[in-house]
Amino acid sequence: MTLTMTRETSVEPPADQPPPKRCRPRFMRHVLLSAVGVIMMYPLLWMISSSLKPSNTVFTDESLWPAVLDLGNYSRGWTALSEPFEIYLVNSLVIVVLSIVGNLLSCSLAAYAFARLRFTGRKLFFAMMLGTMMLPGHVLVVPQYVMFDRLEWLNTYYPLLVPHFLATNGFYIFLMVQFMRSLPQELDDAARIDGCGPFRTFWKVIMPLCLPAFATTAIFTFISVWNEFFGPLLYLTDPELYTVPLALRQFMDSEGQSQWGEMFAMSFLSLAPVIGFFIAGQKYLVKGIATTGLR
Amino acid sequence: MTAIRRQDRAGYLFLLPWFGGMLFMIVPFFASLYLAFTDYDLLTAPTWAGLDNFRRMFDDAKLHQSLKVTITYTVVSVPLSLIVALAVAMVLDRGVRGLAIYRSVYYLPSLLAGSVAIVMLWRYIFGYNGIVNDFLAWFGIQGPGWASDPRYALSTLILLHVWTFGSPMVIFLAGLRQIPAMYYEAASMDGASGWRQFRSITLPLLSPIIFFNLVQALIASFQTFTQGYVISNGTGGPGESTLFYNLYLYQKGFAEFDMGYASAMAWLLLVIIAGFTAVNFLAARFWVFYDN
Amino acid sequence: MNTIGTTVGPTRRHLLTLAGLAATAATLPGCGRGFGGGDDDDGRIEINMVWWGDAQRAEFTQKSLDLFQTANPGIRVRTEYQDSSPYKDKLAARFAAGDPPDLMAMRFDSLREYADRGTLLDLAKHAGALDLTGLTEPARALGQVGPQIFGVPSGLNTISFVVDKAITDRYGVSIPDGDTWTWADLSEFAAAVTKASGGKVYGANFEPWTVANLLVFARQRGEDFFTADGRLGATAGTITAWFELTEGLRAAKAFPPAGFIDQNNGASPAQSYLAKKSIASQIIPSNNLLGYNQACGGNLVMLRIPGETARRGQSIDTPALWSIAATSKHPDETLKLLNFLINDVEAARVAGATRGVPPNRKIAEQIAPDLDADNKRATEFLTALQNEKLPPSYPYPVGASKLTNILKTISTEVEFGRLKPAAAGERFITEARKEING
Repeated sequence: MTLTMTRETSVEPPADQPPPKRCRPRFMRHVLLSAVGVIMMYPLLWMISSSLKPSNTVFTDESLWPAVLDLGNYSRGWTALSEPFEIYLVNSLVIVVLSIVGNLLSCSLAAYAFARLRFTGRKLFFAMMLGTMMLPGHVLVVPQYVMFDRLEWLNTYYPLLVPHFLATNGFYIFLMVQFMRSLPQELDDAARIDGCGPFRTFWKVIMPLCLPAFATTAIFTFISVWNEFFGPLLYLTDPELYTVPLALRQFMDSEGQSQWGEMFAMSFLSLAPVIGFFIAGQKYLVKGIATTGLR
Repeated sequence: MTAIRRQDRAGYLFLLPWFGGMLFMIVPFFASLYLAFTDYDLLTAPTWAGLDNFRRMFDDAKLHQSLKVTITYTVVSVPLSLIVALAVAMVLDRGVRGLAIYRSVYYLPSLLAGSVAIVMLWRYIFGYNGIVNDFLAWFGIQGPGWASDPRYALSTLILLHVWTFGSPMVIFLAGLRQIPAMYYEAASMDGASGWRQFRSITLPLLSPIIFFNLVQALIASFQTFTQGYVISNGTGGPGESTLFYNLYLYQKGFAEFDMGYASAMAWLLLVIIAGFTAVNFLAARFWVFYDN
Repeated sequence: MNTIGTTVGPTRRHLLTLAGLAATAATLPGCGRGFGGGDDDDGRIEINMVWWGDAQRAEFTQKSLDLFQTANPGIRVRTEYQDSSPYKDKLAARFAAGDPPDLMAMRFDSLREYADRGTLLDLAKHAGALDLTGLTEPARALGQVGPQIFGVPSGLNTISFVVDKAITDRYGVSIPDGDTWTWADLSEFAAAVTKASGGKVYGANFEPWTVANLLVFARQRGEDFFTADGRLGATAGTITAWFELTEGLRAAKAFPPAGFIDQNNGASPAQSYLAKKSIASQIIPSNNLLGYNQACGGNLVMLRIPGETARRGQSIDTPALWSIAATSKHPDETLKLLNFLINDVEAARVAGATRGVPPNRKIAEQIAPDLDADNKRATEFLTALQNEKLPPSYPYPVGASKLTNILKTISTEVEFGRLKPAAAGERFITEARKEING
């Protein structure tokens, strides 16, 4: 298979022009997709329903439609903890946004080097990068804690943020490497002929074509950082620095009376940013070569 | 000569942040490697123990059980969830109206997985008196406690994992869009069937992404922790049926104050995962196609 | 290739957006927090106190701390709390990293893990600063290791059997006398409930794998499960008898069938099978009566553990101890705070019964009238027991957490009929001996 790229080939996304053929199979496909969709949606519906039930009937009233409606979960949940809930939301957002920026910048640089440049030690460094993904995090907890303690970073966001700016998450590097490697080599060659150095090639040629990989990275970073529990648990001590997952856990004590209704209400609210980000970001997931085209 | 050195310099320049990150990683890494050869209870200073921790592994029945659980889980759930993810991505990629909605809905479980609420819901669905058994009761069958019976608990967890196929699906979707559509147009003009297009265009051109998902899923699956932890409250129960390797490691390190042993376990796992990954990279030469 | 520039547009714009977002995030009002600086150094001595619990307990605790800080303006108490399971992970990590809190809630079953490794302050040496004379002998024994004291109970409780009277009334089954009932009475009663309800409700359930339950059963047979010197005192015969009892209850349909109870269901009252009305009675810690009664509809009757007539098995226990780190930089201030929490009436009054009955008997009596009905009932239940001669409860030895796991695994094997009680007893003792000294 050889690439023949002509500048005239304008490429339309297949999604925009469904072949106007038989209708029945398409209808059936929608029925099937929707049926599966209900199964996928069920947990969210259940969570919404639980957030409307009084705490002591959350587990006993098993119907999806609450027998007793308790909208107060939302207002009580918002103020039940030592700080109003917006503090936790803002804290989490700050960390998430900075982490995304850090991951996108640092991981794409590293990925470009691994995917498109030839330099001494490339394979060794790549293996090391994969290796860092393979050691269970639990045994790193104590050494890391000691390290951050020495740096006097405890009870700040630095232990949560700085690693993201230093490309410590092999997952995203590896992801971008695979995307970049699937791009035609002709691009680099053409850029070089045009007189672009590696940095300009990276910035002007590769980056724009890797939008889906960046969108994926941004979405995954958002979700994993937004949900991260153990890191913030260890490194943050002041309640006013707490993130959403830490706050949510404060509603419950596995051995005591828990404010389940409030917890579900706040859990649902704190899903909104993630879902919103996914919906906003997903259109970039599909802006690959196929859509932007190579003109 | 100078060209090579310029390439080197560019490579290192791009890797600069990553080198900085490695400094952060290397200290804890070597600390844990050192601890693997010590007797360390977290509360008093570690004492050198040579290969003791590794020797103890040979007759630690729970360790063997946890390896069995983890490998079973990996071997079943990784291919299963990747196939489902690819299949759904293929369906969603090809001209479905309302694509954005389906994609979001199918991704929801991945957003929710691991949250406390899901675990509770899961029990309610798969419990002895749960929805599944209510359904079976219509046919006069009294089902077991799918999460509380040691014979079924792991299968139930695998199902939960497959249900969160959204992450690989998103990556597949992104990868599918990297395939220039003109290939399909050309193939359609030549009258190639859908299956042939899949075999000769989609699979080879998507292979770097499939490879990524496979390697990534393997590494993640061997390190499964959160799912096992939240489902069993960290015990690996019922029985030892969901005692994932990392769960046992965590128990050893933090509940039983045996961090030396836990560190040794961690490095054993690293070797195991590295082995599997290396095999994958070797095999990749035969089925993963890059354009260079 | 200049046309490539046209596709660059969106990316660059997005990068700018991202950069803008980042800048906004960092400059949002009040978002300087988390980036160092802003240490409110006001010359006060700061002590760090950590414990587990939920937001409600936090509110009560904060009230007593406010009283303390008003009385001691030179001391600031910085608190932190979590759910019990992340709490213990963070505590271990902090000790390991040499950054322990000053005052901490300590699990009864981990006290010696920390104490035996020299990380806790011996409170017996500070009798001048910490007055423990208000505590009864069994209460003091909870934190005692030999002549040393490493923990003070933050509250007292015991285990108790609660029965949902709404269910027994509906099916016309009378509740036995809780002070004199035997295990056979329990079986008969529970089986009657199951039968009368047509299998809709099972009469009883309690976890065979909960060490606290087994401790009581062992004492009733004259054995200390854990002895005062930190050894395993139970025999294989006792473990076998325990599993014969639970499997007998299951066979008699007093207990639900195998697999019905999910051992990882979660221990909070709202999640319990009692609240779901799928069982009529179970064992609970006495200080959780309020929570359970709210979750179950308000008709819970509190009974003692069966089989208490011949030899006593019940003991006074604690949901959590207070301990002080041996390396605390401010031991005097921390002792002062601990003494305040234990011996100040007002501190105890505002904290209520969130950690059980106050360990100081006089204070427990003084605040009892202010408690709500369920907490008062639980307090009376415990006070009555305190007036009797009960066997003491000793801190679990190092390695006890492994025993809990072994017991859990074996219980499952027995429950699903894969291990006979006799074999289970032998297996437990063999495996347990490997972990702690028999």
